[in-house]
Amino acid sequence: MADAMSHEEAIDLLALDAVGALEASDREIVARHLANCATCTHAAAEYADLASLLPAALELVPPPARLRRRLMAQVYAEASASPALPWWRRLFAAIPAGRAFTAVGAVAVVAAIALGIWAVVERSASPAPVAYTVSGTTATGTLAVGTTGTQAVLTVKGLATLPTSKVYEVWLIPPTGSPKGVAFLSPGVGGGAWTAVVPGSLAGYKTIAATVEPAGGSRTPSNIVVLSGQLGGS
Amino acid sequence: MHLSDDDIVRSISDHSPEGIEALYDRYGGLAHTVALRILSDRGAAEDVVQESFLAVWRRGSTFQPGRGSLRSWICTIVRNRAIDRLRGDRHRTRLDTPIEGESVEPAVTDPWVAVALELSGEEVRKALAELPPEQRQTIELAYYGGYTQSEIATAMEVPLGTVKGRVRIALDKLRASLADRLETPWQTQ
Repeated sequence: MADAMSHEEAIDLLALDAVGALEASDREIVARHLANCATCTHAAAEYADLASLLPAALELVPPPARLRRRLMAQVYAEASASPALPWWRRLFAAIPAGRAFTAVGAVAVVAAIALGIWAVVERSASPAPVAYTVSGTTATGTLAVGTTGTQAVLTVKGLATLPTSKVYEVWLIPPTGSPKGVAFLSPGVGGGAWTAVVPGSLAGYKTIAATVEPAGGSRTPSNIVVLSGQLGGS
Repeated sequence: MHLSDDDIVRSISDHSPEGIEALYDRYGGLAHTVALRILSDRGAAEDVVQESFLAVWRRGSTFQPGRGSLRSWICTIVRNRAIDRLRGDRHRTRLDTPIEGESVEPAVTDPWVAVALELSGEEVRKALAELPPEQRQTIELAYYGGYTQSEIATAMEVPLGTVKGRVRIALDKLRASLADRLETPWQTQ
């Protein structure tokens, strides 16, 4: 069908479309014109961008923290279950963003810390590595701090397998102030111990704990504490 | 690490959860503001924002750079869903969901983006304030009320052509007003 619309007529309709006022009956006419008119396609983009600036005039209303948690829990749950993704992508999808290093890093850091401990034993000159005990109703474990004091590995046995919608999140808790989520426990191969790399110094923290959280993690820990342990004073 | 909008689009196209997370962190606040302005209902606004971002996640990015910015794309998705819901709810009683003392967090985590949005907000407020009231009302009825050209004509008791003219003139004035102050694509055309 011939497109008899002029640019002027089209521009009027594009402006209406940008603010959502275009009649349904005009949509097809506009689409047909845009398919053959680069000038108006560009104008449509301009008007769309202009319209998208309208909300900038509103006072920004920050969404509640629960919305982000809810959204990302759903996204991570779907990602980890998606058969369309290769196995290595599913593994990383199951690990919340920003902490994807945990699974791979755990193995490397366990090795690095072990090497560090060996070096200490051999040289008998550096500070001794520190290990803290953690425990819960069914779980027991150890937090091994590297000789540099800037990295530690949490190893835990006796934790139940979680559904894909849940994770074990590790928290460092200061004497006062809010707990800080630092890592997620990853299950060992073949039902072995769960591990997590705890990055950074433990200085200033009194307690380490792990809780059950929605996939994607939480801003604050839930009440489902599966293990805890005291830091310092060893 | 600062991700550009292009980085975010690529990440979404790769079906990466981090892409959605970055998109939400950059535009979630704007999306929530738009949905809340349209629906005036916190629970419904949250549902619409979540549905919109999940739709992007499930479909992958259908964003086309030639048809506007990432910001306008996500705004349009959220607005359309909010308007659909508004139209569907017009015959129902709305229940306002309590906030339950929930803490809030800024959705925009990148300081540079936050500053840019704040600046553009101030400029857009000024530019809108300079419009004649009937032009401003026309675009607000359309954008936030979901009214079509003919519905606006009926509500404002003016001919269809007047509505069309008001919308175009209002947007052209906004463009002229903002082009002097903001770095936007239309400046180069």
